[in-house]
Formats: sequence, structure tokens, C-alpha cells
Amino acid sequence: MHHLRFRQPGDIAEALKLWAEDNEAAYVSGGHTLLPTMKQGLAQPPVLIDLTRIPDLRHITAEHGRISIGAATLHADVAASDTVQRQIPALAGLAGSIGDRHVRNRGTVGGSLANDDPAADYPAAVLGLGATVVTDRREIAADDFFKGLYETALEPGEIVTRVVFPVPEIAAYAKFRHPASRYSIAGVFIARTGKHVRVAVTGAGARGVFRPKNIESALSADFRADALAGITVDPATLLEDLSATAEYRAHLIMVMARRAMTNLGTTQTYK
Amino acid sequence: MSDFKLNERILKAVGKPLRRKEDLRLLTGKGRFTDDFNLPGQVWAAMVRSPHPHARIVAISGEAALSMPGVLAVYTGADCKADGLSDIPHNPVPSTQFDVKLTGPGGGKVFIGRHELLPADKARHVGEAVAMVVAETRDQAKAAAECVEVTYDVLPWVADASAAVGAAAPRLWDEMPDNVLVDASFGDAEETDKAFKRAAHVVTLKTHVGRVTGVPLEPRAALGHYDAETGRYALYAGSGGAVRQKRELATVLNVAPDKLRVMSFDVGGNFGTRNRVYVEFGLVLWASKKLGRPVKFRAERSEAFLTDYQGRDLVSEVSLALDKDGKFLAMRASNLSNVGSRCVSLSPLSKGSGLITGSYHIPYATLRARAVYTNTMPTQAYRSSGRPEVTYAIERLVDKAARELGFDRLDLRRRNLVGPQQMPYVNAVGSTYDSGEYEANMDRVLALAEWAGVEKRRAEARARGKILGVGFANYVESSIGTPKERADIIVRPNGVELVIGTQPAGQGHETSFAQVTADLLGLPFEAVAVTLGDTDIVSAGGGSHSGRSMRHASTVIALASEDLIVKARTLAAHCFGVAPDAVVFDDGLFRAPDRNDSLTWFELAARAEGPDLPEALRGGLRVRRDNEMHTPVFPNGACVCEIEVDPETGGLDIVRYTTVDDVGRCINPLIVHGQTHGGIAQGVGQALWEQCHIDPSSGQPTSGSFMDYGMPRFDNMPSFKTQIVEVLSPTNPFGVKAGGEGGTTPAPAVIMSAIEDALSDCQPFELELPVTTLKVWSILQRASAEKRKSA
Amino acid sequence: MTIVSMKVNGAPVSRDVEDGTLLAFFLREHLGLTGTHIGCDTTQCGCCVVHVDGRSVKSCTMLALQAQGCSITTIEGIGEGDRLHPVQQAFHESHALQCGYCTPGMVMAAVNLIDTHKEPLTEEIVRQEMEGNLCRCTGYHNIVKAILSAAEKRAESRDSARV
Repeated sequence: MHHLRFRQPGDIAEALKLWAEDNEAAYVSGGHTLLPTMKQGLAQPPVLIDLTRIPDLRHITAEHGRISIGAATLHADVAASDTVQRQIPALAGLAGSIGDRHVRNRGTVGGSLANDDPAADYPAAVLGLGATVVTDRREIAADDFFKGLYETALEPGEIVTRVVFPVPEIAAYAKFRHPASRYSIAGVFIARTGKHVRVAVTGAGARGVFRPKNIESALSADFRADALAGITVDPATLLEDLSATAEYRAHLIMVMARRAMTNLGTTQTYK
Repeated sequence: MSDFKLNERILKAVGKPLRRKEDLRLLTGKGRFTDDFNLPGQVWAAMVRSPHPHARIVAISGEAALSMPGVLAVYTGADCKADGLSDIPHNPVPSTQFDVKLTGPGGGKVFIGRHELLPADKARHVGEAVAMVVAETRDQAKAAAECVEVTYDVLPWVADASAAVGAAAPRLWDEMPDNVLVDASFGDAEETDKAFKRAAHVVTLKTHVGRVTGVPLEPRAALGHYDAETGRYALYAGSGGAVRQKRELATVLNVAPDKLRVMSFDVGGNFGTRNRVYVEFGLVLWASKKLGRPVKFRAERSEAFLTDYQGRDLVSEVSLALDKDGKFLAMRASNLSNVGSRCVSLSPLSKGSGLITGSYHIPYATLRARAVYTNTMPTQAYRSSGRPEVTYAIERLVDKAARELGFDRLDLRRRNLVGPQQMPYVNAVGSTYDSGEYEANMDRVLALAEWAGVEKRRAEARARGKILGVGFANYVESSIGTPKERADIIVRPNGVELVIGTQPAGQGHETSFAQVTADLLGLPFEAVAVTLGDTDIVSAGGGSHSGRSMRHASTVIALASEDLIVKARTLAAHCFGVAPDAVVFDDGLFRAPDRNDSLTWFELAARAEGPDLPEALRGGLRVRRDNEMHTPVFPNGACVCEIEVDPETGGLDIVRYTTVDDVGRCINPLIVHGQTHGGIAQGVGQALWEQCHIDPSSGQPTSGSFMDYGMPRFDNMPSFKTQIVEVLSPTNPFGVKAGGEGGTTPAPAVIMSAIEDALSDCQPFELELPVTTLKVWSILQRASAEKRKSA
Repeated sequence: MTIVSMKVNGAPVSRDVEDGTLLAFFLREHLGLTGTHIGCDTTQCGCCVVHVDGRSVKSCTMLALQAQGCSITTIEGIGEGDRLHPVQQAFHESHALQCGYCTPGMVMAAVNLIDTHKEPLTEEIVRQEMEGNLCRCTGYHNIVKAILSAAEKRAESRDSARV
């Protein structure tokens, strides 16, 4: 790989200081998004700032109807956490469905969010649960965080420190995977709290993760799979590629939404 | 066939599922794969590859690259020419006695496009290497390769075989009037026409079994070294046959073969992909002489996807004539093989041509076999070279006939199978099937697959919202291969060494050949070690391909052991002081019954090194034997698979996969079952996920990584039920057919058969491999939309 | 260039490396442990799997420096001297390897799966949990057998130890 310098700060202040020294620097967490990109030569940051040795960034804490997950917490740990399994099993299931075992032993929620890969799973949970992304300098509501394909509201140098997930009454995730890459071509996260139903779709939207309002309305009015009959997503807003046309994705979104409704309260992701 | 008569009594290790000798080093990280080797002072090569499917090379400037850190040299096709390097002599036209003889159009010679290490004239496919950079480190070489400036004159291109056939298609080779290099016809046209005229039914099918790539998990690599002191070259490179690679590379470098040593030790998968020389192998050797340093190359996986020799890509138009009772009367086939931009091996077209009638007695047939050049990566043999394609065509055709004419698909097959009493059976294109019990295979597989319970399972799947599809396919395939093989057997006081010229990449020759040798010599399996892959020790041999290895090896080992026993008896006679024919050899022991004296092999070996031997008996207890066999064998079998279709998503789940495979004598069932499993996976992979896709508007290959190229994985493959059948072949002493490719041969056919069964309510539809979830869903959508329309 | 120190197969190791050195290359080229293999460039084949602090990871997608201070186990380190690890033994018994190229990563993945999975392993779980490792030779059938067999033996020896 190209010449680079690797730094391992022990706290956020040090990390920010290192970034300030070279604005071309990139933060790295598990590295399973950044390193493959660097290996392809598509990114060549001169400095890598490793966030995984900062103690504050790795935790899973339940607090007053919310779960705070440190940005450098491994997918494997979220999936295995008793706390998450009990309180938001859909989130544990989603984390446990990312990539494969070895990827889950390195990948982190902060890394996944900062990159906003259109086929990543976490954006669906963050948007679907209405989570709050906490950074070194502010708190960003999920609805304000995702700006488009690979684009987030993060400022240059801003570090995600934790994500706070409100515990819903019930939630579920269902996804359909690309046969080769195994990324989602349609992943639907559904969460209900009171009368309020949030739905987030990943892997399909032309502008990244999105909330289909018509599905949310239908389920808010009637929280049953049957309420989805006749609801469609406009293919014109969806991605299209060799393995999945926009029509197919539109169809899969509804199928996954129905399946999520039968997965409620479980870690099942129907992958 | 040779005179050797196998005495079944001696078989102790043969036939047993002995665990492999290879495993210890491979399980503990002590394997010796090409990239594991390093030489002092070594430098690295990286290739500059054409981004265009077809372009004239106008100029190459290495100036910018040469100024980069660590760069030692930039080489082009002009440099190769200046040094007088020769083309790679692929010798692609199969020419053993029983190979189907392919000719050029009008019966002329097949035009073989030159394969230089680096072309000086044109790049003929995306990814073709047009220059090589050598630098101190691999990263430096790769970075510098990006900075080599190549001026291209972009030319029109053609990637699709059918499009390439026309006179107006862009031409790859100026020496040819068009792109068609092979156009040959076989069979009896007159009788075939008569049969079609009187047929009650005619069924036709056009199909394209597309292009896939082998994906051996070890990316290709080469380490070349020229030793100025000895004037010899050495090459570490995983291959399908070190001896052949040595011969061909020596030709390229214009040196005598003994000036080159090729070492293929542990090879991380072959499947045909490594059967032929790669340009990088010659280039690192040549560069190492020029630079005076060893030169190493290792392909990235993306490079392997782009520039490994690829497989299949056959367009087939077939038709079957039947009488009113469903008896097959005749067949017509027109097969078009896409060989890519250079002709590396015509084995797929040739082998497929001999098997177009499959397992069925079809008295008359005509075949037109064509091969065409296109601006794509060259294709050559890939697991079961040519046979899955033709099996797919005939089995689909038979299923179609059953469907359209209202016959039961199993009955229709049974009625037309080649019967055991017809063996050896000469099919309508001249192939002589040696042996096999095809109907017994069917009975066995149907029982093993619990065919009787299918409807119950179908109903049960329906209750879960799934559609169960059940597929069936027969197959017969051929194993020919390079006809010559050599074995050296050396007995030393501490053990036996067998040196042989096959080239395993996981088939377990160190184990199975030891089983054969041990039994022939009456020794324990542990006493025999097998040496492969180093041409300084392996002087001759045919490599491994086409399922040839066990058949050729067991035969030449049998002959060699015969010679060795004669030699040993003579030596023993000398030791005992008796006449040679008074020496009895039995169960590994040489005895002089009259003298109550005996010697083991190892004791004899110690004597053989002694000083007090007459001239004729000196030289150690060893033999060398060559053998040449042309007669092919025809492994055969049948398989059943069950696939659950999820109508909501088009999702496919293989829930059962059952096979019966007649491999002739099975030397090691553990190994043969393993070969079947792996073969099945590769066939299923092509049926469901794998495709070397080329963008039709740009000619760019798009399946460049595992992100796009779907693979059989733990979670999309089922466990298998596989059964081995041993109908001994009369063509060789051990009765071996082959076991390496029968898993793959019927797989695409049986998968499609299952899908067509699942989607039978949606007929008619067009469906080509790979059967993706999108395609299945689209068919279901269209069918239900039409149902709603007509309702 | 930075000095990286870690434990590899129980022994402390310290080398001066280019910061951009991937862990897989550090193991292969700096330490001469060529058992860990490279099979792809998109983190999908699993040939490079090793253990870092008790977790299975793809060493091709980790910098050596990210493993600073960690404890690494490679295929060369899981047996005990001349004795094969039970998973290695199970692979041998079940013919779960052919060419051997995917085998080191496969064994490391299997060892970690058996060591860490809470519930008893079934074929379905094994097939799901091993999806990150590709094999082109075996069709996976025998590898599944080997893993289930090794897991069963481990459970048995655990049970008998408890008795």
C-alpha cells in the first residue's frame, strides 16, 4: 500500500489533535470499509488515526429506555450482548447478520455509519429506531444524519463517539442479500413505539437509506403485515444493477417488510 | 490394452478410504505454494494491461515509470521480439488417436493465433498484458505500472460468439478472412436427414452455456530465476503439469529443455485453469536473465478474474427426432465455441463433440462444430472440459421432448438409454463408450434420492409457501488426456519412492498412487512416498487434466512394478545363489523355497547398493517405465436434485442433491467422494451464480471480484448423497475410468431440470444460466400477470 | 516505519515495519509464517483468517500496527508440538481438505467457531457461521462433517471432564 503513517491515540482530544495536523488524515475503526478501499487504490490517506484504543468508544450501556453503543464497539459484541438481545433483539440480529464472523470481529457501528455505504445494515437500524449519533462536538438525530450515497452530516474531522438507540416497544429486521457480495439489496427495519412506526430501507435507495412514508403510515394505522397489501415503493427512486432491477428491489422491499412483521421481537433477519 | 493382468488378491490398500499423506503439511501451514518461495535478491513484476477489448499498440513509453522509486526495467513486446523470444506453443488442437478431429473451415488447418509473451501488434482483449514493469518491491512495480504510457489505436471489437461469426464482424487476426477458426462436420448427414423426415416429432432447443472462470483459491504466481553460473533457468509456478510447462517455456526462451527446471509443488486448485502456460511465467524467466536477479509475480484476485484462462462459453443448437412412441431416431447439433482472443486449447469443443448424444442410443446424428475468435480472454479446458455443455443440451432437449409430447421424463430416458449389452457402444459421432450400466445408475440414484417421496415433499413444501422443483439428469463423459506417462520406482533400504509426471492440485496423488504402488509391490501403504512436480526429478509425464491421472498412473505403475519385480528376482537370485525362476515373489517377499531363504524389498535394496555386484545388476533397485495409451474411458452416472423456490423472492434453496457415479475401479473412495463433492459445487456454481459477464456496450468484463462473481459457499450449498459404482473399464489393467469430473458434468443440467420442474406452470419461458433469483422472479411475475389477464 | 510488538503463537515478536504493512504480509514475509494465505483482494475468501486476542479476523484487512500489543495465533500455532489440534485431526479424518490453500484460514475459523459458539453446533449453524470462508475444492460437505465431529468430541470431553 501507499506510504502512510499510523497513529493510535488514547483519547478523543489526541485524535482530534492528530487530525488537525493533517486534514487529509482518515479515522479508522475496524478498517473493513477503509482498508479494502485503500487496497484498491481508491483512497490514499497519508495518515490513519486508529480510534479503537480509546476506552470511551467501546461500550454497550443501557440507560433510561435507551441503549448507548460506543462507536468502536464490534458488531460481534452487539450481536452477543445480553442487553441488546433482551431490549432490542432486532438490533442484535442485524449486527449479527453483517458480513461474516470475521468481519463482525473487526467491524464497528461508528465505522459503518461514517461511511454510509448504501448497502450497509446499520443505517437501517439507526434510521429505523430514530437513534442519535453522538460525536465529539454535537448530537445528530438520525433523520438529519444520512445525506445521500456515501454522504453523512459529519463535518471533516468530526468523530462519532457513540450511537444512542431508543428502545422501541418492538422491532424487526429482514433483508435479502446480493448473491455474490452478500450485501443487502433490500433490508427493511421496522420499529414501533406507541402509535409511532418508523421504517427504514437500506440497500435499495438511489440516495442511500430512506424512510418510505407510505409504509410507515400504513403500519402506524394498522400494525399488521396485512396492512401492507397494495403498498408499493416507486422503482424510480431505487438503485438498479445487474443482479437486481429497480422493480425487483421495489418488490423485495415489500416482501422484506412483510417478513419483518413476522419477525417482530426476534433476532431473525431472514438472510 | 497392455498385457498386465491384475491379480485382485493383492489389493489391500486399493479400494480403502485411507487418509491422506498430504494432509499433515497442509493442515499445519507447511504447504509449499508458489508465493511461499522467495529467493535472495528477488524483485517483483507487475503487468501493464490493456483497458481496451481491441486496439493497435502504437507506442509504449516507460519513461515516467522508470523514474519512479525502485523501478528497474520496463519491457514491451518489442523487447521480446528483439530478444527473439518465441510464441507459446500451446498445441491446442487435440490430436490423440481418439480425439474428435477438428479442422478449419473447408477441412483446412486450424489457424492458431500466435501467443507471444507480450504482443507487439495489438491487444486483443481487456486485460491483455502489453508491458511488464520490474521493481524492487511489489507495491513499487504496481505503482509504476500505472504510469507506463501506452498509446492505443482503438479498434472495433466483438465479444459475443454468435456476433463474431459473421463476415462483417471485427476481425482479430489479419491472416484470417473472418474469426472462424474451426468449422468441421461429423456424423451421417444423409441418414440423419432421412430420420428427421420420417420422425413423428421433432424438438429443438437453442442454448448458451456461458463463460465462467475456475477461481482456484491460490492466485497464479511465478518466481523465475536465471543462474548465470550454470546457465539454467528455474521456475516456481503452480501448474497443471510441470513437464509440459518446461517443454513449452524452453521453446519460448529458445533453450534446450534441460536448461529449465520447473517446480510445481503444492498447487492451490487447478480445475483446468493452470493447464496452460501463462505469459507471466515466461516473462519472469526472461526478465531474471536480463536483470541478473530472481523475478517474482503474483496475480491479484482481480487480475485472476480478468486474465486466468476462462471456461465454457458454448452456443448449442440441437434438435431431436422421435417416433410416435418416443424412440430417439436422430439428432442434429450445431455447437459454437468462443475460444477468446487466442487459441489455447480446443479440448472443450472437441470433447463435447464426441458426446452430443449423451447416454442415449441415437442411431444417427450430425454435428457442426465451430470455434470463433472474439475479443475476450482465451478459454480452454475447465472442469469436465466441454462435457457439462453438451450434457446440458441433450438433457434439456430430452426434458423438453417429454414436456411437449406428454411422455414421462424418466420413462422416455429409460426407453432410449444405451444398454449394457451394447457396450462397447459406438455413438453416432464415432465415440466408443467402453463400459457402463446406465439404467442401473438410474435405478440406484432414484432409490438413493427417495424419488418415490417427491410428491409428498412437494406438498409439504407448498404448505410452507415454497415451490419444490425436482431435477433429473443422466450423463456420460469422457476421459482422454495426454497419452504418455512415465513412472520411476526406486526402492531404497528405508522406503520406496515413486516418481510420476501427474500434477495434482488437491486430488491426493501422494496417497492414492501410494496405495496402488504398495499393493503391487506387497508393501505397506506407509512405505511408499510419491514425488511430483520438480522436473529435475520428474523427467516425463502428462500432468493432470481430463481425469487422466489415475488411469495412466495406475497402468504405468503396474507395468513398472512388473519390471521391478523381474529385476528384483534376478538380484535375489544372485543373492540366494539360485536361478532367477527359482525365486518366488509373494506378498512383498522374495523367497528361495529350496533354500528356505527370503529377502524383503528393503534388504534387497541394501544389497543393490553393495559393491560386489555383477555389472548387469548394478545401479540400485529401480526401474523407469513409459507407457502410452490412447483409448478413452467414459465415466457415467445420474443425478437428482430438489430445489425449493421461494415464489415471493425468486430465492432458490437446494434441499437435496443425490448422485451415482460410475468411476470404474475406485482406488480411494474418500478421495473420489471428495472429488464428486467439489465437482458438484463447480457445476452448481455455474448453474446458479457464476458468470464472466461482459458489458455489451463497452466490451468491459464486469465480474472482477467476489463482489460480483457469485460463488458456491457453505450457506448456499447442501450436503450431498453420493454413491460410487465400479463398472470396471476393459481398457486398462486396474479398470479405472475417472472420478474427478463426474460431479460437474450433469450439474448444470440437473439444476435447470429442477427449475423447469418448479416453474412448469409458467411454461413457455426462456431461461439461460446462471439461474438467478431475478430471472426466476421475473418468470413467475410474467406468468401470474398473464394468468390475471386471462382470468 | 514503526516498531510493532505483539505475541505470535505465544512468542513475543518485535519488528520495524512500514506503517502500511498488512498483518497477513507481516506474518508471511516478516515472520516467515507462510501458512496464512492470501486468496483475494476484497476481504471475502477467508484464506487469511488468524486469531487476534481470541477472535477470528481476516488478516489481509488489518494493519500489523492495528495488532500492536495483541496476541496472535496462526495455523502454525494451534497444534501442540507434534500433536494436531482436534480440529486439524477432524479435518484429516473427514477429508475436509484437498489442495490445502483455504485450509489454514478454514481451520482457524472452525477452531474459533467451536470455541466461542454458545449453543451446540448443527449443520445449519455451521453453514451459516462459516460463510466467510470459501473453498473451491471440497464443496464444503466434508468440512461441515469435520467441524461437527470436532465440536461433538469437544462437548464429550467437556462433559467427561465435568463428571
